[in-house]
Parts: sequence; C-alpha cells; structure tokens
Amino acid sequence: MSQMTGASSLVASLEAAGVDVMFGIPGGAILPAYDPIFSSSIRHILVRHEQGAGHAATGYAQVTGRVGVCIATSGPGATNLVTPLADAAMDSVPVVAITGQVPSVAIGTDAFQEADIRGITMPFAKHNYLITNPADIPRAIAEAFHIASTGRPGPVLVDIAKDALQAMTDFNYSPSVNLPGYKPKLIPDNQSIIDAAALITQSSKPVFYVGGGVIKANASRELLELAQLLGAPVVTTLMARGAFPDSHPLNLGMPGMHGTVAAVTALQKADLLITLGARFDDRVTGKLSTFAVNAKVIHADVDPAEIGKNRFADVAVLGDLKNTISALIPALKNALGKNQPDLTPWLNQMNSLRASYPLGYDKPSDGSLSPQYVIERLGKISGPEAIFAAGVGQHQMWASQFVSYENPRTWLNSGGLGTMGYAVPAAMGAKVGAPDTTVWAIDGDGCFQMTNQELVTCALNNIPIKVAIINNESLGMVRQWQTLFYEGRYSNTSLESKRVPNFPMLAEAMGCVGLSCEREEDVDATIEKAMGINDQPVVIDFRVHRDAMVWPMVAAGASNDDIKIARETAPDWDSQEL
Amino acid sequence: MAQHTLEVLVENSPGVLARVAGLFARRAYNIERLSVGPTANPTISQMDIVVNLEGHALEQVIAQLDKLINVISIEEILPNKAAPAVHDTQPDYQN
Repeated sequence: MSQMTGASSLVASLEAAGVDVMFGIPGGAILPAYDPIFSSSIRHILVRHEQGAGHAATGYAQVTGRVGVCIATSGPGATNLVTPLADAAMDSVPVVAITGQVPSVAIGTDAFQEADIRGITMPFAKHNYLITNPADIPRAIAEAFHIASTGRPGPVLVDIAKDALQAMTDFNYSPSVNLPGYKPKLIPDNQSIIDAAALITQSSKPVFYVGGGVIKANASRELLELAQLLGAPVVTTLMARGAFPDSHPLNLGMPGMHGTVAAVTALQKADLLITLGARFDDRVTGKLSTFAVNAKVIHADVDPAEIGKNRFADVAVLGDLKNTISALIPALKNALGKNQPDLTPWLNQMNSLRASYPLGYDKPSDGSLSPQYVIERLGKISGPEAIFAAGVGQHQMWASQFVSYENPRTWLNSGGLGTMGYAVPAAMGAKVGAPDTTVWAIDGDGCFQMTNQELVTCALNNIPIKVAIINNESLGMVRQWQTLFYEGRYSNTSLESKRVPNFPMLAEAMGCVGLSCEREEDVDATIEKAMGINDQPVVIDFRVHRDAMVWPMVAAGASNDDIKIARETAPDWDSQEL
Repeated sequence: MAQHTLEVLVENSPGVLARVAGLFARRAYNIERLSVGPTANPTISQMDIVVNLEGHALEQVIAQLDKLINVISIEEILPNKAAPAVHDTQPDYQN
C-alpha cells in the first residue's frame, strides 16, 4: 500500500487491470488524471472527438476480445461518449469509460461542465459508478473491468469527481471483486444440455441460428465441430458474420431484413431453431407472430433475460457458449447414436434455394460504378485475414453480403444501435488492436462525414487504416426506403457528396493519401495501390451509382414469408418444395 | 390481472432506487406500489414492489431486474393459501 493522489491511483489501477491502450481527450475535470497518464506505461491516443474515443475502444475490444478503454472529461466530454456507449451496450461489447466529474461539492449545482453522466448512462450501461471518495477508485476500476468483460459483455462507466482525483489516498488494488448481485452463470445445467440434444435428434429440419454471442464467447471452433457433427444448415446474423466460415457448405449466409433467401427461408421453414447467442432481433424475425411458426426453439445464451424475451424457448440453456457448445457436442454424439435423423431432404431443399437465389446485383446500365462490385473486390483482394469495419446503411449491408468472412473478429459493425459514423473510429481502434492486419473501413459518404476527423488521429499516431467511401452522394438506405415506400419523394437524402466535399483533398488535408475511382476497370488497381501503402492512412472515394438497392429485402414489420429478391419480385415458391 | 409482490434485496448504495424505477419505466412496466426499507444488514435494503403483471411479462421484469448489478435477490411473495404460482412463460403473442 502506498500514498498517492486519486489520479495516480486511477492510472495505477488501470495498469493493474492490464490496460495497454486508451483513447481519450483531456479537459478540466479529468485533468488531474492526465498528469500520471503522461508517465504511465499505458499508450494514450489523443482523439479529435470523444465519440471517436468510444467507438475506437469498441473496435479495439471487438478485434482483441479485451476490454476497450476510453476517457473523457465532465459535461460535454462525457455526453459525447453516450452514443458509443449505447452502441457498445446494444452489441454487447466490453468497454470501460472513465470520465471526470466536477468536484463533489459542486455536484448538483449546475456547475460549469457538469452533466449527470451516471444518470444519463443508467438506462443502457451494464453498470456505472460515481466516485467521490478516492479510496473507492481501485475497487471501482476492478469491478468495472470484471463486469464489462464477464457474462454478457457491455459498457461500464466510472465517473470520478475532480476532488477525488486530487486528494491523497492509499493505493490498494485487488483484482478480486465482491459483487453479491452479479454472478453470471457460465456452466450450463447438465439436464438442459441433455434436453437440447434430445430435441435435436427429434428434428428433421433443424437450423443453427448463430448470433454475435458465439464470437464474444470465442466459440467458433466448437460451433464448427457441432455443426459438422449434426450436418445441419447454419445462418449467421449480422453480428455473427465470421463466427462460421462463409465458405463452408453448411453456411446459408445472413438471415433477416437483407438476408439471403436460403437463410431467411431456413429459419421460416425449420422445425427447430438451435439458437446460439442470438436474441431474436426484429431485423432477423420480421413480424414476430409469423416468424418460424412451426419451429421449436433451443435458446442458448449467457443472459437469462434474453431467454423468452421475444420468443418462447422450448429448451433454455443458460451459460457461456463455449462451455455450452463443448458440452453439447458429446451429448449430441450420444443422442445421435440412438437416433440419427435423416436431414438429407432438408439440406437438399436449402441447397436448391441457395443455388436458385444467390446474392447478386445488376450492374448499372449507364456504365457507372456498381457499389456491390467495389465491395466484392475489396473482400477478394484483401483476403480472409483482413478486418472490415462498416458504417450503417446500404454499404453496411453490402459489406456483410459481398465480403466473404472466414474468421471471427474480422467483421465489425454497429448492428444493434445502427450508429452512422461508426466505421472510421472503430477501424482506428481495430488497427491499434491488430497493427499487423489490414483494416478497412467500408463507409458511406454520409457516415464518413460524421466522424472522419479521426483520420487526423490515425495520421499522427501511425494507425494506417484504409477507408473505402462508397460515395453514392446520398443517405442511401433512407433513399432506398423513399424509393420503395414514399413514391420516390427524396426528402433530404441528397448529400451532393460528389460535388462537396472533395474527399481525396479532405483526406490529404488530414495527412492521409487520397484516391478516387469511378470506373470499374480502375477498381482493382486502386485497391491494390491502397494495399501497398502501409505508412499512412488511405482514403478512396469510390464514386458509385446512386440508385443501387440492397436486395433481398423484407420490409420493416412484414413477415419473412414476404421476402422480395428485387422490387415487387418474390422468389418463385411454387418451384421449390418446402 | 392478479397483483404480484416482489421482495427485492438491493445493495444500499446511492442511485439504486433510480436504477430500479428507471428499469420499470423504460421497459414500460407499471409499478402499483413500492416501499423501500432497511434490513438487519446495513449494507442491504429491501424493496417491496407490487406489480400488475403476470405470465411472460412478469418473468421478463424479474429477469431484467436481476440483471441490475445492485440487485442481490428477487423473491415473489405469494398470497396466503394460494397454490404456488405457475408462470405461463408463453409470450403473449403466442397465446
């Protein structure tokens, strides 16, 4: 035990918690902490906006599996973290946010730069703290890292009053925590595993409905073994892309609003959903009352509140998914030894659907660049080890559809909250976490204009990410909905980003290499040029056709049975035996 | 709809009432009656929460409450002489 300031105690606690990097911006209330940070072993990356710090922490966490850390001052510094923390909550990302707070005597007086950030983040943070006594700092940090990273991961905020940072205290850090109200159940009950295995052997049309939880639990290898053992088709949600190799013959792709016909139909027509770390989100289920009406449900998750939240579970398996799947493999082997269902007809049906309705796109008739083609080439040229972070909108869906993901933690996006502007700062955090890996941000021209300031951070801190702007000069997904549901009345979705800003010049101004491409024959050469630049961030302005749309599509609130493969075009169900 | 009483033990820490009340508000559940008091252990308080919920909604509110880090335990207090409650866990849309 040694005497030091609360600020030094904070930094020593972060070091003891294993933090090697954090993203942040100083300000008045957090200033005492920035003095010990100056001489700390922790790499502090000075961002240009606190939102960038939050998403960078998320990107770092998503790629490394470790806790991402961001730090900001009170008031606006803290409120600028709200969006990335809400984002991390929706996508179950382990993030710890440290914020300075006004001195404890000033709390509640509407002091300069005062905001009740604990109150503001209470609805979505996994947990949060307001610390006014410096002696509480090490315990709060230890608990924050424990809570953020265990069970269902999530964001934890530690708000520390300035006087607690300045006062002297004893430093006494222990990683062991005492939280009587927090004991995540990690080992599944044996009976639930036996029940799940029994239900699986009674099914002739099972589907693995795989969510992001499989990636969080590092259970991809176990999933591969389980899926091959049963030989049932697999669908990977938007958050689970990469959890199961896209090249695997059992993988039908992504289900949901913009999912493949085969993946959507597999869920709809299944007699059993083997749900692993997924949460029956409305973007997957469509109209819930018509979702997979004939299916029984096995729901395996680490969060008890997800079981039965949106869909009744016939068998609930509560526990860490790595433990769950590891236990299910021998139990299923045993059960299959007694009763081996014939899944061949079911697999044939799904393979026929996949062959009849592959993901595809029409190239624009006017010869302009197709956004899907650009994204497809990005994936092919960068290879299966590259990491992709997307913003939100059409380009995000295409990046999920047309890049082949073979490995977990190679696909980052804002799935739950749908945060435009996620890509650039998340890619920055990803590149910090995986400096030897190619990291692409696939961004829209709308998204890019929300958070591109972090390219300055990248340029100055040797974080050479690559950004592909899919520039359709529009808020493309909103425009698509206006085309489909608002009679083509394009209210406020034209960004005119082919006129202003000049993206390559903007990139150059921020210390990056700026490139531009608007012809299909130049796409490969431009991507390869970017791949050859590794000492600077690169931005490519891909000027693409404006009217490309994301297909297939299940309209919001509609039944998955009403999936369209193009405008007013349903799959030819009569030709399929389902 | 029958009233159910939840006896909730919470850590006696600042903001815990706001956490519980906020959870009911954002998940759109109504609190019929709420009382908070001390227990023999000064670090633990007890909340008695009366809700007009049953079945799936009651299960969900208990599960969501249990996720709050400061909530230690939740017990449903059954009315005298009533048979043990059998919760209908079917979500409402399937009924």
